[in-house]
Amino acid sequence: MPEKLTFDAIVVGAGPAGISAAIVMARSGLKVMLIERGRFAGSKNFFGGVLYTHALADVLPDYWERKPPFERPVTEQGYWFLSPDSVMRVMHKSQHYQKDPAESYTALRSGFDAWFAQQAVSHGALLITKTTVVDGIRDAKGRVIGVRTDRPDGDVYAPIVIVSEGVNNLLTQKLGLMKADLPPRLIALSVKEYIGLPAKEVETRFNLSGAKEGMAIDIFGDATLGLPGTAFLYTDKQGISIGVGLLLEEFVHHKLKPYEVLARFKNHPVIKPYLAGGETLEYGAHLIPEFGYDRMPDLAADGVLVAGDAAGMVDALHREGTNLAMTAGRLAGETAVEAHKRNDFSAGFLKGYRQQLESSFVLKDLKQYRRMTDFLDSTPHFMSTYVNYLNDAALRYFSAHGLPKRDMEDNIIKMLFQRRSFFGVARDMLKLLQGMRG
Amino acid sequence: MHAIVAIKQVPDTSNVRINPETGTLIREGVPAIINPYDAHAVELAVRLKRQFGGKVTVITMGPPKASEALVECAEQGADRGILISDRKFSAADTLATSYVLARTIEALMAEGPVDLLLFGKQAIDGDTAQVGPGVATRLGLPLISYAVGVESFDPIARTGVVHRRTERGIEVLQTTLPALLTVEKEIAAIERAPLADVIRAAQYTPEVWSASEPVAFDVAKIGIKGSPTIVGKAYTPPPKKAGAAVKVAEKGVASTVTEALAKVKAAGVVKI
Repeated sequence: MPEKLTFDAIVVGAGPAGISAAIVMARSGLKVMLIERGRFAGSKNFFGGVLYTHALADVLPDYWERKPPFERPVTEQGYWFLSPDSVMRVMHKSQHYQKDPAESYTALRSGFDAWFAQQAVSHGALLITKTTVVDGIRDAKGRVIGVRTDRPDGDVYAPIVIVSEGVNNLLTQKLGLMKADLPPRLIALSVKEYIGLPAKEVETRFNLSGAKEGMAIDIFGDATLGLPGTAFLYTDKQGISIGVGLLLEEFVHHKLKPYEVLARFKNHPVIKPYLAGGETLEYGAHLIPEFGYDRMPDLAADGVLVAGDAAGMVDALHREGTNLAMTAGRLAGETAVEAHKRNDFSAGFLKGYRQQLESSFVLKDLKQYRRMTDFLDSTPHFMSTYVNYLNDAALRYFSAHGLPKRDMEDNIIKMLFQRRSFFGVARDMLKLLQGMRG
Repeated sequence: MHAIVAIKQVPDTSNVRINPETGTLIREGVPAIINPYDAHAVELAVRLKRQFGGKVTVITMGPPKASEALVECAEQGADRGILISDRKFSAADTLATSYVLARTIEALMAEGPVDLLLFGKQAIDGDTAQVGPGVATRLGLPLISYAVGVESFDPIARTGVVHRRTERGIEVLQTTLPALLTVEKEIAAIERAPLADVIRAAQYTPEVWSASEPVAFDVAKIGIKGSPTIVGKAYTPPPKKAGAAVKVAEKGVASTVTEALAKVKAAGVVKI
């Protein structure tokens, strides 16, 4: 009989949420086991590419001295509205973005998460990789008292388990914290390529003055064939991250293959020149939970807390996720530390975690955009209709046809209502407003 | 029983790319793994330890990063890991590498008796299969290369019977111990390590030996100075063209053979 493996806390999944929780708990002197199924932290993790530093600083105040492997600070950002042959750009560049450390950076997760996990190890957490948690262990009263891994003699015990297993939240479901599996209309699939280019080339193409400048662009319209979804293009140190995400259901419904959507986007006449001569070094795909505020799992139960993608903590509209995850992971870690002080791991005490999240931006934002997925779902024509209109209207506006300007203006307005009825436009705008205001 | 396993950390060649201009491997950003054959050698050592008691020591020469590979061996059940690492070792060919490993093994043999030396049959990055035999030669030990199975192993009588694959079939060889084996993957299937071993390994820090401590290596025999090998050119051979297919039923056997012979002759492959 092997001896019983016992820790003060177990964290399932070494992503931003889990690592943040592990750092907070290890720093308070708890014996923490951080379990990761990949070969190393970050090997299974994936995102578009922008990481916000505010949440990182809350977890790791001295993160800057610890030399995080960022790609480029984001010094110019905004939106491109892409029609099949044109683009309308709304970009913002400011001297205020130029600071050390900056507000946000582009990053590659395989490097960043590995570094972040190393910080947890340096705080005293024990990182175990290549190990998958297959189930929770409960006592007679149904309280979670540990986890079962896929290794021989793989049971490990702790009075508190933090589940930060990511979007494919099988453990969360097994623990009964989420009643149903994830429906495809509430999950997006994002595919991305990391395209290598010399730093000089990246800087010339995006008009950056050096390594201390970088661009983050979110792209709407033709990039997703006008379907509900977004695309992105971010500059890295020596390359470009380019990707496109759609609700999973759209791929199924329109019989689209993710890599074909991305290939089509890369070949768009506006996009193609930026990528010319680059070499695809990585291709990846990942699910993004968009189940939103109303369909989140229970975040706390006896002996267990849930944080990050596993709980659907993604604000897709603002491409935020890692900062929500880090903040939630930190709050979960702090709650666990407090629970140890009081020796109270009951759901009653742990529910304080949810209250803290409710008063932070994490759940406030998720609450505000609770109808965003519904908006996309109920107005599938939105992206193509308005993005194309925007570009056609701009073309009319900027071309002199020898017409009086008043006629041109009438033309532009008429063009809109030829495509969508007055009431249709009114309804779309109302829905957009509802989506934005909650 | 004391088994020493020599391993190498290699780039995961399923991901490896070759720089078309220089012909060298692009190691940047490519994940590193234990050379697959070496991992099976470690597994064999750990199994023998379970059966006969004793210990398993794993040694590797490489950059500081190679320490990760030793930690993985500790997960598999190795007791001690030694990283032989120094800038002076860099750019070593198989001659210099076998010198360093042989001297290291000698130093370990001076600490106490060793029964078995295990190597993978070859490393997947260089594919030379020279280091194991080179070490056996330097140490004057019996060598069994391409081992696929251990029929018997007796650390007390100091003998063993090992199966080895050759082009003609399986050879069954009896050897005295200590002996050096280079192994194929079939030697031992890798089992998933118990959680307790993984936890122990996560807290284990391998030893680091330099070019001067605790073994003072001859600087003329290590690194680039000790490596007479010159790589003229490395390239990916062009894919073989598909051969011509002939429908024998249509042409008849005799004319097919005559035509084929003529082609072979014209290509200068055979003289008839």
